[in-house]
Amino acid sequence: MSAISPALDPRVDLGRGLVLANPVGVASGTFGFGFEAEAMNGIDHLGAIFSKGTTLRPREGNRPPRIAETAAGMLNSIGLQNPGVEVVARDYAPRWARWTVPVIVNVAGSDINEYVEVVSRLDGVEGVSGLELNISCPNIAHGLDFGTEPGAAARCVAEVRAATTLPLVVKLSPNVTDVAEVARAVEDAGADALSAVNTYVGMKISLDRQQPVLPGMGMGGLSGPAVKPLALAVVAKVRRAIAIPLIGIGGIATTADALEFLVAGADAVQVGTANFNNPGVSREIVAGCLAYGAQLRLHRFSELRWQELDHPGSQEPDPDQD
Amino acid sequence: MSQVVSATAKQLIGESQLSRVIDEEVECASVLALEGDLFQISFHAPELSRRAQPGEFAQIWVEQTHTPLLRRPYSFSRADPGTGEIAFYVGVVGEGSRRLRGFAPGQRARILGPLGRGFSLPQRPGRSVLISGGLGAAPFPLLAQVLLQRGEEVAWINGARTSSELYPEELVPEAVNQVIRFTEDASAGSLGRVTAGLGPQLSGTQRVYACGPNPMLAAVFQSIAEAASKLAPAPELEVSIEAPMGCGFGTCLGCAVPLCQSHGGPPLFGLCCRQGPVFPAAMLDWEGLLAQPAHLE
Repeated sequence: MSAISPALDPRVDLGRGLVLANPVGVASGTFGFGFEAEAMNGIDHLGAIFSKGTTLRPREGNRPPRIAETAAGMLNSIGLQNPGVEVVARDYAPRWARWTVPVIVNVAGSDINEYVEVVSRLDGVEGVSGLELNISCPNIAHGLDFGTEPGAAARCVAEVRAATTLPLVVKLSPNVTDVAEVARAVEDAGADALSAVNTYVGMKISLDRQQPVLPGMGMGGLSGPAVKPLALAVVAKVRRAIAIPLIGIGGIATTADALEFLVAGADAVQVGTANFNNPGVSREIVAGCLAYGAQLRLHRFSELRWQELDHPGSQEPDPDQD
Repeated sequence: MSQVVSATAKQLIGESQLSRVIDEEVECASVLALEGDLFQISFHAPELSRRAQPGEFAQIWVEQTHTPLLRRPYSFSRADPGTGEIAFYVGVVGEGSRRLRGFAPGQRARILGPLGRGFSLPQRPGRSVLISGGLGAAPFPLLAQVLLQRGEEVAWINGARTSSELYPEELVPEAVNQVIRFTEDASAGSLGRVTAGLGPQLSGTQRVYACGPNPMLAAVFQSIAEAASKLAPAPELEVSIEAPMGCGFGTCLGCAVPLCQSHGGPPLFGLCCRQGPVFPAAMLDWEGLLAQPAHLE
């Protein structure tokens, strides 16, 4: 075992006083509210926990089947099952207040008023270290609207910003024409940091039944190793568009995956779907990243970043135009 | 078929204890090939053999590949702290179970468990009836063994479509008091479905445990409900059900199971992995359950 380099400072500052002990967090929807992991594997190793999406009122979620397996990935259509903000603020936050790892509550809603009500309820609640605004959940009606149009995204973020003093991360949808434009709009509206990406809209067909596997319109959010190259490209695009911290998400299952996102322009990462098949994976990735940083004698993980990203004037190849 | 029970059904079902869960890389001890694509695979897993309780399950990661991505759940069929071995009764359903069948002794797999809420066990000895359909026999060797150790009288109605899909008699624990076999084509035991054998067994029985395809479980539930008025008291029915499952420990929320409540109300879901896979049968919305697939696709 290599000792941690005394020179390495693994902390990541996401703004407004939210400092992660290391760059590795766990993604919303893949870690519940942290209590399962607390009982099974422990949580103290993590940089941050991003909670399950929380709405104003409790939601039972979508009718089954809610998940399907795809090549190197999975589709989900959970439908934001959660106990509602009152239970989160009243019952969960006091438990989080005893943890050293910061819990950032992922907030979802179907209109701007709902977002504002949820974040107002969480403002000043001990145990809530920050908010991650989900303007991009593809699995509920209208949930996608805010994330796909820069003006709507900015209005939502501005109103939420005015309603809370908590650090505010905004989670971007990849299901858009120009993710950089949405990122800039959200940054200008007052976000402290961005996270990218949420799941990709996908579908699986059952040839036996000649219909989609998932109910309703058959669509779900695609996650897992299959989306990693897509997510890396989005992270690099967003990094060039904004100045605030960026959290990379998408198919991270190994230390190398996490480090690749740091090279592509992320300041921190979230491990998502890999938590399902390997509940110990985030601990492995934290240890792996620290060992890598020590081996390379890094002072900060940001030294890994691809240097081209820091030269916004350089030519950007655009395969979309082919 | 769906019953009217309180909308607080969810609160009435306990949750599994995750602090007992471990994730171990363990060695295959043996693969016992059975008829067709059925087999019993054993692993040397001393810690899991001590922790596993009847009706609980393990998530097996056959090979650490991206496809298939997720582990698959298997009920503990045997758990012997004496030998340190655990065993699973498996039929080839998909890629993971196909690879498991090809395992050689010494080959390694990652096993996460014990998971889920298992069968509730009697406080005082009495009489239990186990009813299995096909692969639904999987949790019953361990359940039968634990019940017998507690002084319970155990009858096992063992059914399948045809004899080659029947849980092998030589694997049934010897001390089981009575084994009744049914096949739908009369290729072994009596002709018919397991519910045909249930009626005569109910009198004097405190507990019925059922595991098999969801339509079979619904039929067992119906049979007992119909017979209940003539029985005092009616036996309690617990069923081990299947649902498409992602993580197995309550975070993905994929394995939603419809719970019954007043008709016309909004849906109410429990999690198969935390509140099940064993449920009191009266808690389930059987119509909803039958409308959903049993396996992850």
